[in-house]
Amino acid sequence: MITVTGLVKKHGPNTILKGISFKVRKGEVHAVIGPSGGGKSTFLRCINGLEQFQGGTVRVGEHVLTPATDPRRDAQLLEAVRRRTGFVFQQFNLFPHLTVLENVIEAPVHVLRLSRETAVERARALLDRVGLTAKQDAYPRGLSGGQQQRVAIARALVMEPESILFDEPTSALDPVMAGEILSLMADLARDGQTMIVVTHSMSFARNVADQVHVFADGYDVECGPPSGVFEEPQHPTTQAFLTQTARD
Amino acid sequence: MLLILYVLACLLAPQTARADALAEMRKDGRLLWGGDQEGGGPYVFPRPDDPARVTGFEVDFAARLGEYLKLEAVFTQGQWDRMPDMLRTRKIHAIINGYEFTPERAEVMEASIPYYVYALQLMARKDDSAINSWDDLRKGQRGAKLKIGALTGSAAESYVRRFCAGLCEVVSYDGNTDSMREVETGKLRATVQDTPIASFYGSRFPALRRIGEPVARGYYVVYVRKGETALLQAINEAIVLMVRNGDLERIYRSYGIWDEQQTELADIVDKGRFYGYYKAADAKVEKNRMPAREDVQAGTRKRGWRVVKDYGGILLQSAGMTVILSTISFPLAILLGLLVAVGRLYGPRWLRLPLAGYVEFLRGTPLMLQLYFLFFFLPEIGVAVPAFWTGILGLAVNYSAYEAEIYRAGLQAVPKGQMEAALSLGMPRGMALRRIVVPQAVRIVIPPVVNDYIALFKDTSVCSVVTIVELTKRFSVLSMSTQATIELMAMTAILYLLMSYPMSLLSGRIEQRLGLEQAA
Repeated sequence: MITVTGLVKKHGPNTILKGISFKVRKGEVHAVIGPSGGGKSTFLRCINGLEQFQGGTVRVGEHVLTPATDPRRDAQLLEAVRRRTGFVFQQFNLFPHLTVLENVIEAPVHVLRLSRETAVERARALLDRVGLTAKQDAYPRGLSGGQQQRVAIARALVMEPESILFDEPTSALDPVMAGEILSLMADLARDGQTMIVVTHSMSFARNVADQVHVFADGYDVECGPPSGVFEEPQHPTTQAFLTQTARD
Repeated sequence: MLLILYVLACLLAPQTARADALAEMRKDGRLLWGGDQEGGGPYVFPRPDDPARVTGFEVDFAARLGEYLKLEAVFTQGQWDRMPDMLRTRKIHAIINGYEFTPERAEVMEASIPYYVYALQLMARKDDSAINSWDDLRKGQRGAKLKIGALTGSAAESYVRRFCAGLCEVVSYDGNTDSMREVETGKLRATVQDTPIASFYGSRFPALRRIGEPVARGYYVVYVRKGETALLQAINEAIVLMVRNGDLERIYRSYGIWDEQQTELADIVDKGRFYGYYKAADAKVEKNRMPAREDVQAGTRKRGWRVVKDYGGILLQSAGMTVILSTISFPLAILLGLLVAVGRLYGPRWLRLPLAGYVEFLRGTPLMLQLYFLFFFLPEIGVAVPAFWTGILGLAVNYSAYEAEIYRAGLQAVPKGQMEAALSLGMPRGMALRRIVVPQAVRIVIPPVVNDYIALFKDTSVCSVVTIVELTKRFSVLSMSTQATIELMAMTAILYLLMSYPMSLLSGRIEQRLGLEQAA
């Protein structure tokens, strides 16, 4: 469903990603962990074309992004990729001038061109699922961080994407709210939602993910099922990282 | 840049008159003559009983001239020192506005024979015994030079400057009667005025007296475009008839400005001696059909509530023009500014530099200059925009540069994550801008934009340079002819306040509402 091959991303003199290859099949949950600055978020942003890259390819379904992909010239290609891959941001990025319901129906109405009624119907169902039916007419500023992130997840889900990319979705939240979001994500995973999750939550990676990747210094240094990565880490960086997080 | 364009236009524009103006005028049936009613009495000034219309000896002269030419004389308001530009760009057919004959002007325009012989009159306070002749001006008092007032750019100003030669100080005023008032209040010791003004406004300034005989006589002439000899000939013949038939004497007497100097008019007509004058000796003398009329007098100065009652209506009407100008031009400015800002931030690379240039050029040059450019340059390259739309266009384009900068700041203040969130939902960039980024920027910039609206509102007064009469211009015109400056100033200020304060209130309300919406 998503196949990344030899992805290289440079930023000025620094090389952020040094040849990442990555394959996600339908229904799989991949967790990306590792020390800060390892290129986890950049990797995620390259998959849905928010960042251009300098080497390798990203294949989403039949669509292929390459270093030659131009944000203006290939706008339609990027839009097609983005419709298949939802994105959930660390900072939520809800639209502050729209109510909760309007945030959720914005893209279905204007991008998918669904009728307003259909969009509202879908949105209500999702808001119900994330437990925010009562807040549908509130504006984002009136919501707690956890509530905002739940709206953001509903906003991504309403497009019915084949996969959802989560970019540290709980890093801006306190532990209680983070827990709510993580259990919501675990729910989605149980329902077979394909996901790539960049996270600092070791418990999520250990308990929910099918595959765990450890990113360090621009490399995917170790990957495999959580049991392998967590119980018998092979790479010294992984060992150091796991020891570090265990101490926290 | 303006200069280059101008030079270019001069090279491109046809130098000779395109067609015989007189033939065109005959078809149209109108003689458009230019003057500035701000100049005041007795030339062209608002009628005391109906300030929306003009009167003055030049209004009567032009009307009579029209009768002889079998054309309807139509007054066209313009700024006094811009008359030659209006003539050149075909906004008027003739200048009739106390324009003195000078060889320099006769180089670039055709001058008719004189219709009035003026001279310069020195005036001082009645109770000022120290000034009894021109020579007294040079004496000074207790080592200080005496201050003498004159109209900016007039023959009187250059004459008195030459006369003083450093021994007295010349102060220039924009209005005819400003310096008479200043002498009355004691700020100036004396003023030099053209004889028609001294005669007409004598009664308004009872504390002043004339010093000595008028000096430095000169001629008011009609100017038409260079090369339009047929029109010039027709005007000259009409003036000859007006002199011989006694039309001029009749008109001038009714304004109290006929004096013995005017006998020279007959002399010029009979002997045919004047620069560039086609002798019209065989012009037929008609019997004078001019009806007798009552004398027009400046009378005494109106004061207090009388001014409010008589001129409140016309000021209010002019305030309407101010409102119309600002309410049409500002939305255009906002739209244009938004497009420029979006283009600079999100447009293709090749577009960014020209747009930056657009903003810098418009912000870096005065609005007045831009309006001149639109009004006097566009006709040269064949684009004639009416004065009203020139004003709208000039204001909209000028303010669009400021709005563009405000919007640029507003757009940049919208967090980058908003665009990314919209894109990640599969929106095209344009839609993301339109639906997500711009609506947020608009909310951010409401206070500075409203601020600019109030600024534009007051800047509409600059439109008077392209002959639009709005509130400020009306104030100048009325205060020049009535001298009731304080009352008119107060009324004008109150009108501006009444119009701009509600906008401040409205913006406060909008801000509050949007603030609530986002905090709810």
